[in-house]
Amino acid sequence: MIGQKGLTIVADDIALLLNRITRQDKNALRALYNQAAPKLMGILMRMLGNRPDAEDALQDVMIKIWNRAAAFDPEKGTGMGWICAVTRNHALDCLRASRPARLRTTPSGGYSADDHDDPIARLPDPTPGAEEQSLARMEMLRVVACIKELPEDRATAVQGAYLQGLSYQELASRFDVPLNTMRTWLRRALISLKECLEK
Amino acid sequence: MSEQTPQTPIPDDDVLAAEYVLGLLDGDDWQAAKARCAVDGSFAQLVQAWEARLAPLNELYENADAPDLMPQIEAQLFPAPQQRSRKSWLWGLLSGTAVAAAIGVAILVFVPAAPPTGPVLQAELVATDRELVLQARFDVAATELRVTLRGQDAGADLDYELWVIDETEVPRSLGVVRAAELALPAELAQGQVLAISLEPAGGSPTGLPTGDVLAVAELSES
Repeated sequence: MIGQKGLTIVADDIALLLNRITRQDKNALRALYNQAAPKLMGILMRMLGNRPDAEDALQDVMIKIWNRAAAFDPEKGTGMGWICAVTRNHALDCLRASRPARLRTTPSGGYSADDHDDPIARLPDPTPGAEEQSLARMEMLRVVACIKELPEDRATAVQGAYLQGLSYQELASRFDVPLNTMRTWLRRALISLKECLEK
Repeated sequence: MSEQTPQTPIPDDDVLAAEYVLGLLDGDDWQAAKARCAVDGSFAQLVQAWEARLAPLNELYENADAPDLMPQIEAQLFPAPQQRSRKSWLWGLLSGTAVAAAIGVAILVFVPAAPPTGPVLQAELVATDRELVLQARFDVAATELRVTLRGQDAGADLDYELWVIDETEVPRSLGVVRAAELALPAELAQGQVLAISLEPAGGSPTGLPTGDVLAVAELSES
């Protein structure tokens, strides 16, 4: 709810559970699992690309959440945002620790380092439809709209990095550009993205 | 690569934080940013801001079926008391940040040296602005860390505090370093990172680094 202070007051269930976890409340950890495991599993499946690794990682993530709950600061973001960040970070750790130029099997059975799927093409269109627009969805569409303002290849690269954990090196080979070019592109893109998000 | 591209500018910390959050960094860059995030409060805040800024994108991850893994998770977190090793007891004590504040910081004192016989992990932490050099040698077989400290005093009402950061990324205090030479029992491993920070006299009141981090180095085999 960053940037929307005062506009909406939404009960942050995950934040409440994290607070109980700092007091060593084991039931709160279980409640958090029941509520958030499908989302965390979704992140891990997308980033790690296979179920056995994702299930191992989910156990490690829950242990990190238990150990680090006190580091969550409700002033800086939502509880769900924080546990997703812990999860993404752990997945990146797994990816960076294993093979540098990996071939991950995707749920569809292909290889993500080779496939030519275009994540940006699958981004939802930021025009409100008939379906219910939850606050989370509206905020997502706002970020997506800013990403879509970037040149298309850069937008695709930002998506690939965030959703799949692709590194500069992997993006450079995928887009067939020199590593330094990819770095320069994305550093500029990140600065524009921040400006857009803070408008 | 040979084209006349201007030299890639050195990114400022905010861009580095964004690169770290997105997952663009590889290898040493990733490790370095991770270690910095654990010990450098101002960098960690930039990272947190980027995490919050991009968090709405988490909506794009589709939920996936998760089996009930809580029995395995609880077995790891809360082992039956009789199975607890000294190490897991120590972990339990040190890993909860909430209880960390209540832990008194050990004041490390001089202990006479005996030469190590087995493998040794080393790290050298150098803070150039203070001409401070902390050398750490960990004797794996004896589970003993020897520290020598050369350089300026911490200053009035201040102390140097030594930290280790492992895969949990939560800095764990090894204690306040006052003596020029000391030895202490420790559980350390290759690849862990040592850091030295400037803290109020007696050590960080929170159990996590609060002052400037002066130097960081990874433990590696000598």
